[in-house]
Amino acid sequence: MFDIYLLEAAINGILLGGVLALLALGLNLIFGVIDVVWICYAELIMMGMYGMFYMVSVFHVPFLIAALLTIVLVAAMGVVLHLLVIAPLLNAAPINQLLATGGVLAFLQALATVMFGIDFRNLGIRLPVIEVSDMYISYARLLAFGTALAAMVAVYLFLSRTYTGTAIRAIAQDRQIMPLMGVDTRRIYLVTSAIGGGLAGLAACLLVLQYDVHPFIGLTFGPITFMICVLGGLGNMIGGFVAAFVFAEIISVAGLYMDLEWGYVFAFVFFIVMMFIRPRGLLARRQ
Amino acid sequence: MVRRRLARMVAAMALIAVASVVALAAPAIAQEKKIKIGVVYDLTGPFAGGGSDLHYLGAKIIIDYINAHGGVEGYMIDPVYADAQSKPDVAINEAVRLIEQEKVDMLLGFYASAECVPTAARIEQFKKFMWITTCIAAPVLENRHLKYVFRPQPYGTQWGLASTEMLTYYSKEVFGKDPKDLKVAIIHEDGAYGTDVARGNVEGAAKGGLQVVLNEGYSVTSPDLSSLVTKLKRARPDVILHTGYNPDISLFLRQAREGGLRFQALIGHGAGYTDYTKLKAASGTDVNYFMDVDPISIWEVKPDAIQPELRPIVQMVGDAYMKARPDTVLKSAHVGMAASNTWLFMTKVLPRAIKVYGGVDAEALRKAATDLDVPDGGTMLGFGVKFEPEESVMSGQNNRAYPVVIQYIDDKSYVVWPKALQQRPPLLKLPDSSPYAAK
Repeated sequence: MFDIYLLEAAINGILLGGVLALLALGLNLIFGVIDVVWICYAELIMMGMYGMFYMVSVFHVPFLIAALLTIVLVAAMGVVLHLLVIAPLLNAAPINQLLATGGVLAFLQALATVMFGIDFRNLGIRLPVIEVSDMYISYARLLAFGTALAAMVAVYLFLSRTYTGTAIRAIAQDRQIMPLMGVDTRRIYLVTSAIGGGLAGLAACLLVLQYDVHPFIGLTFGPITFMICVLGGLGNMIGGFVAAFVFAEIISVAGLYMDLEWGYVFAFVFFIVMMFIRPRGLLARRQ
Repeated sequence: MVRRRLARMVAAMALIAVASVVALAAPAIAQEKKIKIGVVYDLTGPFAGGGSDLHYLGAKIIIDYINAHGGVEGYMIDPVYADAQSKPDVAINEAVRLIEQEKVDMLLGFYASAECVPTAARIEQFKKFMWITTCIAAPVLENRHLKYVFRPQPYGTQWGLASTEMLTYYSKEVFGKDPKDLKVAIIHEDGAYGTDVARGNVEGAAKGGLQVVLNEGYSVTSPDLSSLVTKLKRARPDVILHTGYNPDISLFLRQAREGGLRFQALIGHGAGYTDYTKLKAASGTDVNYFMDVDPISIWEVKPDAIQPELRPIVQMVGDAYMKARPDTVLKSAHVGMAASNTWLFMTKVLPRAIKVYGGVDAEALRKAATDLDVPDGGTMLGFGVKFEPEESVMSGQNNRAYPVVIQYIDDKSYVVWPKALQQRPPLLKLPDSSPYAAK
């Protein structure tokens, strides 16, 4: 028997997957190329959301211009993060790199608390809802889903069709040998950090339409984004994209038939099992 | 000879001068007596914006006022403010730090029940006095027989019972249904607070014969509640009973609106629903006609329902609140709750501990709190105070406290339950103008 609520839950899962895929995209790109996990990635998104809030709600900048400025702003933050924190630690032990970006996470949370206060803020923009039969589809989530797809394609085309993209992929394969081939690794890292930051900025523009921003919003997304990246294979952008949708569907559909938290339990169990079966990620080739 | 006499005179004058200084200094030394109080609230993290900062403000207003008026029985209040950061482990660590390093005489405050439950037990181990102004979950006290922990607030189960009692009463009259046909859905954050209020909801629904079509918890930090919305659509409740903090409430309301969820009434239970200003900032006029269960706001208590000496204090707290937060749309009950409960301690417990039991140690404070017998009208919140004795299941709980149901209508709030305190009858069916109204 046809269950319209199951269909709605499945669609909600796809839309949530779009949000999560967008979050995982930039993080995966950075890890794939620079080999450093930005634990503070969700906090960069939080700063971007604040940027959007102030530009749109306080300074009345048109949404699209504010979005462009936010993407540029967070991209610049990505570059600064690389120059100040990552670059000096490029050859350090991974645990030191993790601790350093973890420190940036705490710093950004504290900075946001001091600068913006503890209040929850939102744009107050209400996008229309698409109504089909008894199903309602959030336009804001549909927008995030479409943007995630478009961003994925754009990043893929950039990496495969441009000289810089080719250099990025080459560095991702072998960090040591590429400088010997004449590639300016420093510049490539900066470009990658800017793109990663820009993708965080893009995510911020879309998330601010769906969530209140507060200094600790990163706690909502950070852990789940890392799990998705690991599930898809750290550094594997397509793997991360697929993992986001698998994860979101499990959460959404299981949450319909059982208590909501069971959806997360199943998703985490799936994650653990996959770590045993495919430790290098969902789409990794077996060795 | 003259020189010797002069020397004697100078020595005598010096002696008099020293004696005068000592005599003058004596009251000053007496004035130096102080009680050091660790004041713990969440000043950062999600609970801070969810209401804890307003409780901090309420407590601080009273402490500042008391100090500005000479303290209590010769004791000045020396507050040491600490931030629990919305994390139970930090709350425990801060309490221990305040006791061991800051050497506080007692602790006051605590917003989140998830922090209160473990912290109360830890403070009891130290045999320190704990005065809870806020957190309401029953498990903080239930079956623990704590000697030094006292809570003047009503407790969570009472919250859940208040809303269901009201629904049972109005089921036939407003909804035209027998209680058994009135469908209610209970949704709550899955911490100690939400679980306890939901327990009251279930108990109250069973007592009144209401039909519970869904009872579900969720994590406050959940990034998505759309499955919950879909489930609610499938269950088709007439009334939603919701208990949550702030970010989860606004996420739920947003996703409920986008998901086409319809219902006749929504009753919140404190925390995120208490602060109308923030609720409105997050959800706009969508929250018009929503209801909330809480102790009555001190600014809504009828002036003749409280003792006359409390009226200027209510006014003072309101003035200080508006000065601190000038953009407030509607004064939140949060501030009044902490202010009233802190005032109660400063004016009824502390003076008795000093005068009758000779000091501010935990034993003296415990005895003074146990003696307390305040009739209705003796607190700014309108209710009286009598703590359950140590052998009781709810030892340390004020058994005269009760919450009320209020309704937000056009930026004003009205007490709609219980009948005895009603300022107007509840509007239990959302008007067509509401995006959530069941058509």
